[in-house]
Amino acid sequence: MGKINIKIKPKHLVNYSIVLVMLLIGVVMLETGNLRPSIAQLFTQIGYSIILAVSLNFVVGFLGELSLGHAGFMCVGAYIGGLSAVMLKQALGASAKLPVLVIAMLIGGLSAAVFGFVIGLPSLRLKGDYLAIVTLAFGEIVRNVFMNQKIFGGARGLTTGSLTYDTRRAPTLFIVTFIVALVMLIIIQNIVRSKHGRAITAIRDNEIAAKAMGINVTFYKLFVFIVAAFFAGCAGVIYAHTTTPVLYTFFSYNYSIEILVMVVLGGMGSITGSIFSAMFITIVNFMLQSQLSGDLASLRNLIYAVILIVVVVFSNAPALKSFREKYSLGALFAKLFRGKLSDPAKRKDDEAKWDRVPTKIKMDALLSTDLNVDYTPARPEDLNGGKEGK
Amino acid sequence: MITLIDGLSLGSIYALIALGYTMVYGIAKMLNFAHGDIIMVGAYAIMVTLAATVSPIAAIVAAIVICTILGILVEKLAYKPLRGASPLAVLITAIGVSYFLQGLAQLVFGSQPKPVGSAWKLPAIEAINSLGITTAAAVTLVCGIIIMIALTLFINCTRTGSAMLAVSEDRGAAILMGVNVNKIISITFAIGSALAAFAGMFYLFQIPNTEPTLGAMPGITAFTAAVIGGIGSIPGAMVGGVLLGVIEKFCLASPLAPYTVAIKFSLLILILLVKPTGLLGKVVREKV
Amino acid sequence: MKKTLSLVLVLAMALLVLAGCGGNGETGSVDGYTANNTEYFIGGTGPLTGDASSYGISVQNGANIAIEEINAAGGLNGVNFKFDIKDDQAAADKASTAYDQLFEAGMQIAIGSVTSGSCEAFATKAASDSLFFMTPSASAEICIQAPNAFRVCFGDPDQGVLAAQELVANYETIGAIYDESDTYSTGIYEAFEAEMANLGKEYTVKTFNAENNKDFSTQVEALKDCDVIFLPIYYTEAGLIAKAVVAKGSDAVLFGCDGLDGVAGQIDETVTNQIKYITPFDVNSTDATVSAFVTAYETKYGSKPDQFAADGYDAVMAIYEAMKAAGVNDVTIAPDALCEAVTAAITAEGFSYTGATGTMSWDASGAATKVPVIIELNK
Repeated sequence: MGKINIKIKPKHLVNYSIVLVMLLIGVVMLETGNLRPSIAQLFTQIGYSIILAVSLNFVVGFLGELSLGHAGFMCVGAYIGGLSAVMLKQALGASAKLPVLVIAMLIGGLSAAVFGFVIGLPSLRLKGDYLAIVTLAFGEIVRNVFMNQKIFGGARGLTTGSLTYDTRRAPTLFIVTFIVALVMLIIIQNIVRSKHGRAITAIRDNEIAAKAMGINVTFYKLFVFIVAAFFAGCAGVIYAHTTTPVLYTFFSYNYSIEILVMVVLGGMGSITGSIFSAMFITIVNFMLQSQLSGDLASLRNLIYAVILIVVVVFSNAPALKSFREKYSLGALFAKLFRGKLSDPAKRKDDEAKWDRVPTKIKMDALLSTDLNVDYTPARPEDLNGGKEGK
Repeated sequence: MITLIDGLSLGSIYALIALGYTMVYGIAKMLNFAHGDIIMVGAYAIMVTLAATVSPIAAIVAAIVICTILGILVEKLAYKPLRGASPLAVLITAIGVSYFLQGLAQLVFGSQPKPVGSAWKLPAIEAINSLGITTAAAVTLVCGIIIMIALTLFINCTRTGSAMLAVSEDRGAAILMGVNVNKIISITFAIGSALAAFAGMFYLFQIPNTEPTLGAMPGITAFTAAVIGGIGSIPGAMVGGVLLGVIEKFCLASPLAPYTVAIKFSLLILILLVKPTGLLGKVVREKV
Repeated sequence: MKKTLSLVLVLAMALLVLAGCGGNGETGSVDGYTANNTEYFIGGTGPLTGDASSYGISVQNGANIAIEEINAAGGLNGVNFKFDIKDDQAAADKASTAYDQLFEAGMQIAIGSVTSGSCEAFATKAASDSLFFMTPSASAEICIQAPNAFRVCFGDPDQGVLAAQELVANYETIGAIYDESDTYSTGIYEAFEAEMANLGKEYTVKTFNAENNKDFSTQVEALKDCDVIFLPIYYTEAGLIAKAVVAKGSDAVLFGCDGLDGVAGQIDETVTNQIKYITPFDVNSTDATVSAFVTAYETKYGSKPDQFAADGYDAVMAIYEAMKAAGVNDVTIAPDALCEAVTAAITAEGFSYTGATGTMSWDASGAATKVPVIIELNK
């Protein structure tokens, strides 16, 4: 690792300050007695949604592997961390709320990280669609196994009522949650901007080339899965402190998709985007909960679906490429700060440029040409997928 | 023995769905996550037509037509603009389509399971029923086998079928040989969706209730089957589907029943770890 | 170096905030949410959307009828009641959010949650606020552990024990199918299992997972020669099992618990097997209270009420009767004070309430004592 050289980039500072501002707003409201428990709970939910979205973004946006089992890691954390917290609480007494939470979070996070390692193993041999389906399968396996364990309450769920952290007078769990989110941001952002982060994005952009450059692909893939799983596990422990019972039904595939929607909406590879969309979606959910009744609630799912499709099609469709480049926010900024951003070394080095990720199968480029018109040879840069050459 | 028959019949449903996954994957190189939900649409189509006409035949025809059109529409609207984009983007879009169909069904029909109606039933066949085999299981098994044979013949003995094989083998070469790839992809989606409509029909014979999430679990299981068999391989999908169906039924009949889901999916992970391309899949060398 | 310093400062500040607030924190405002009430506020949560929505909506409808009835009769000493049920999608986290929202809106007393998982979350919050609640339908024992928690329906263990006794007395070979993924189903089954062991009777059991598998041919195949199949499950799956039983040519009697209420709408004339279930509510009853409720429900909602609607009606009415018995006459009464008064009144010797689900009385455990009825479908 060498010497630790921590620098805060302006963009990172933005992310820290978003979380800090929310934390401060909450604390000020608390101190002045304006913080209602329901709002405090909303803050907590925003906090753990941010943790989930950013850690998933680390896998999807930076490593470039789709994980559909993120809720599974949260499930591991919630069950194992929740159970250990209940036991710790009996051992340490009811007054030791914070130590119990912190120790439980470590236990829950670490056990989720173990599962992250286990799921990382197939990722060494599989990629793309295969890995996505394996992570999905993993999420279902975890749920099925926990559901059948008597020690975790079986179908009745794990009773964590004794853990309730928030009291009506002092709903303070959100503070811990935001601090965990902050710690996670510090760790993930510093990984991303280090040489390790560049190695990870190199694997995303071209695994074989990365391997050829001497990057230890095995290590980095496992590493990313473990880190992401750890934080998802921490989010699970926080969840176990807000909700009783911890029930396997919550961590379904649908919840994994909800986290994925946050990542996609915010932009894959953009941490700021993930934070904002996690906030946005959590608040929308909170508000819709009391507004939509009956089967109208499925409107919410419809909206998620439309967001997924529209965002992905818009930002990936080859036909819209020129349109995007003309009218994107990035292009606007580039016009405004031409001098600063034109230096390639300073350009967004940790943001995924999905439209520029070279396709590994050369024939995909052929397909994107319109075949109803007379066949014209594909442009050489498409055929070779940018930098690649056969 | 009866468990085996039940398993084979469930397996042939899985195999029909898995065929849809595997054909689309082989030709369009994408994972059509919404395939399971096409089954659900088929089931609702059967229910609605049945309520209107009381004729099971009309219901089946309507389901096949609606599913086929839906399959082509989904391909044109959601997937075609992304051709050439990263596989991840396509997969996420497919998940979006799946979510969309489920949400729409919930909005239109409600989230409660609905019985499909009493006109939807098979006659009792004494000779089979006395052995303890239900008519639904027998019909599913026989029809499943017939459909699979027909599909194999179609692919191997017709021009369109050979064109499909050619596209999945080497798309570039197929284009150069004058194959209209867009048309072939549309046909693939149409056939896959029609198979899904059949799967929906057999599903309703076994479980006569419709609900918006009806297709999700069979869909995922069938995809697992396709991957186990080797995705892109048509015999692989059949083998994988039947294998999973039989395993599921034997698990349910054994003391391990509570862990059926875990066993099913662990099998997938194990097979992929040992043989990443599935049982009958081809090894593809990856080139830079 | 400067940046390292600022990072350290950021962390230190965060920790300070934590230290400052985590410990003492006697700052938030809590009291006086009910100070502006002009009506007595009954709250509750239930699944109004999602897979379990039919239960929540039934309870909501039943409770609304009770509220209308109470207010039409002049409320309590001239003060009307208002009722608000929030959607929890049968999820515990949503139930606890909804609880906080209701509490802050001035909820004084509640019908708890409709489903067991949510009700556990609701009960945890209600226990710390000492808020009285009477759940219509959450039958798990954990929901009524606290002294402020009561329920209208039967408990899961009661039904399991009763079913075991009933089956052993009347049938020779017994089978059971339950949903291992469901709280209600496993709760009843565990009590059934214990009681069967107690009675020394052998039986065969099969499980399913309603989330993942709705094809019952394997389970039914194993049980088709039984005289009776015990189904401690909900009616949609029971309807499918009934059809699978017919397809397998078995003439076993199907015996269920109150979750089977509604199965008649799931089956058609091909199902000739006898279906029996334990329920406190018979929609065809000629009893005056029941038929008055059924008529009122049909007039308002255009369909016959199910047992959840009856439970919802009874929960609100029982709260009303208990408040009347307790002599409450302050509309701004705080939840904990109200809880104390109502708990004393409802557990008092001689208090009983007769509603749509029969005559019931309560003791300190919170469980209702009432007589179960076994209803038969098909003959």
